[in-house]
Amino acid sequence: MGSMIKDSTTLEILVQLNKRFDAESLPEMVELQKEFGVFSSKHSLQHSFALLGIVPTDWSERKRWYKFLEYLKTYPSDLTNVNGHDRVIKAFKDGLEIERPIPISIKCHSAVEDSRVFTEEGRPVVFTLERHLIVSIPTTPGREIRKQAAEVAKKRRAAKKK
Amino acid sequence: MTSCLDRGDTAAGPGGAEVQRICSDVEAYYGARVAKYGATPLGVDWSCQATQSLRFVQLLKICDFSTPFSLNDVGCGYGALCAFLATRCPDFGIDYLGVDLSKAMVSRARRRFATTDQRFVVGQASPRLADYTVASGIMNVNVGYPRTVWEDFVAAMLRDMRRTSRRGFGVNFMSDAATAFDTPDNSGATRLYRTSPGRWIPYCENALGCSVETLDNYGMKEFTLLLRCHENSADPPLRH
Repeated sequence: MGSMIKDSTTLEILVQLNKRFDAESLPEMVELQKEFGVFSSKHSLQHSFALLGIVPTDWSERKRWYKFLEYLKTYPSDLTNVNGHDRVIKAFKDGLEIERPIPISIKCHSAVEDSRVFTEEGRPVVFTLERHLIVSIPTTPGREIRKQAAEVAKKRRAAKKK
Repeated sequence: MTSCLDRGDTAAGPGGAEVQRICSDVEAYYGARVAKYGATPLGVDWSCQATQSLRFVQLLKICDFSTPFSLNDVGCGYGALCAFLATRCPDFGIDYLGVDLSKAMVSRARRRFATTDQRFVVGQASPRLADYTVASGIMNVNVGYPRTVWEDFVAAMLRDMRRTSRRGFGVNFMSDAATAFDTPDNSGATRLYRTSPGRWIPYCENALGCSVETLDNYGMKEFTLLLRCHENSADPPLRH
């Protein structure tokens, strides 16, 4: 997300995820977890999302999406000694395996404000009545990345002139 | 290869020409899907591998895995059930025959999975009698036909499955309460056939002489009928 995949792809993936784990589709996901252990520490997030067909429709973005999921291993999380990749798996696994599962939402937050993957409970959008498990991924918007890159390039050019 | 209707058995269904028109449209529909999406769940109108596999889990509950058996897979598509069986029960002996209307699907299935125990044929019904038959998703996309015509087609398919199954068969339907994500991609709801167990259980019990078990508690907005055959049914099975 941000530097790794297009902002439009991020949005598309969020829509796909939030649709698959909303209140209406939750029983299906619970059953899939029960039958196949879709989310497990035994395999990667890339594997889980590929099984669920959570992929960008733009083929050129798919490789980047999978790369981003691997890159989550370098992110910290709200749990000690658990990286961002494993935290997402744990959140989905625990969320689907508890006695009374609630819908799960994925959202993004500013990486500048908090660099960790974290979870919380709440209402992700104002019109939602149910409480959701919210998994939040630190993100730097594409425009920020481009702005930062432009500033670095500008400084480099200035340094060369001197 | 002929179905009941092709042989002139039109007691509960449309004539052979109507069935052939439907088959031709279904073939064109899935030919286009596989051309667009390839040998993937989307190519056979399912959202993902996980939900496709969950359907197989339900359908295969008709089978007794304590002894080897023969299995017809009607509407086999690109052969996804073979991949599932290879993962789920790799050392179990299943004499498998995949049947599909789409030549493009069967061609892909053969390339990926054909062995001496896994064969594929193009057609509407299985040309052989097997212990069991399963059919996943073949009743769902009605390719624009009126409901009554489509239901005649469904009845014809069920009769064919009964005729070519020695011990039982399994088939799934979209529930008429379904509105969720995992529905085939289509331009309008009129292309989807949704129904309830109550619509087909009496038919399967009375006309096909089967005992019926309904599975509708696997989290999806659909249901699976498991039909166990009785030898003395009104429509006797195909004999070799």
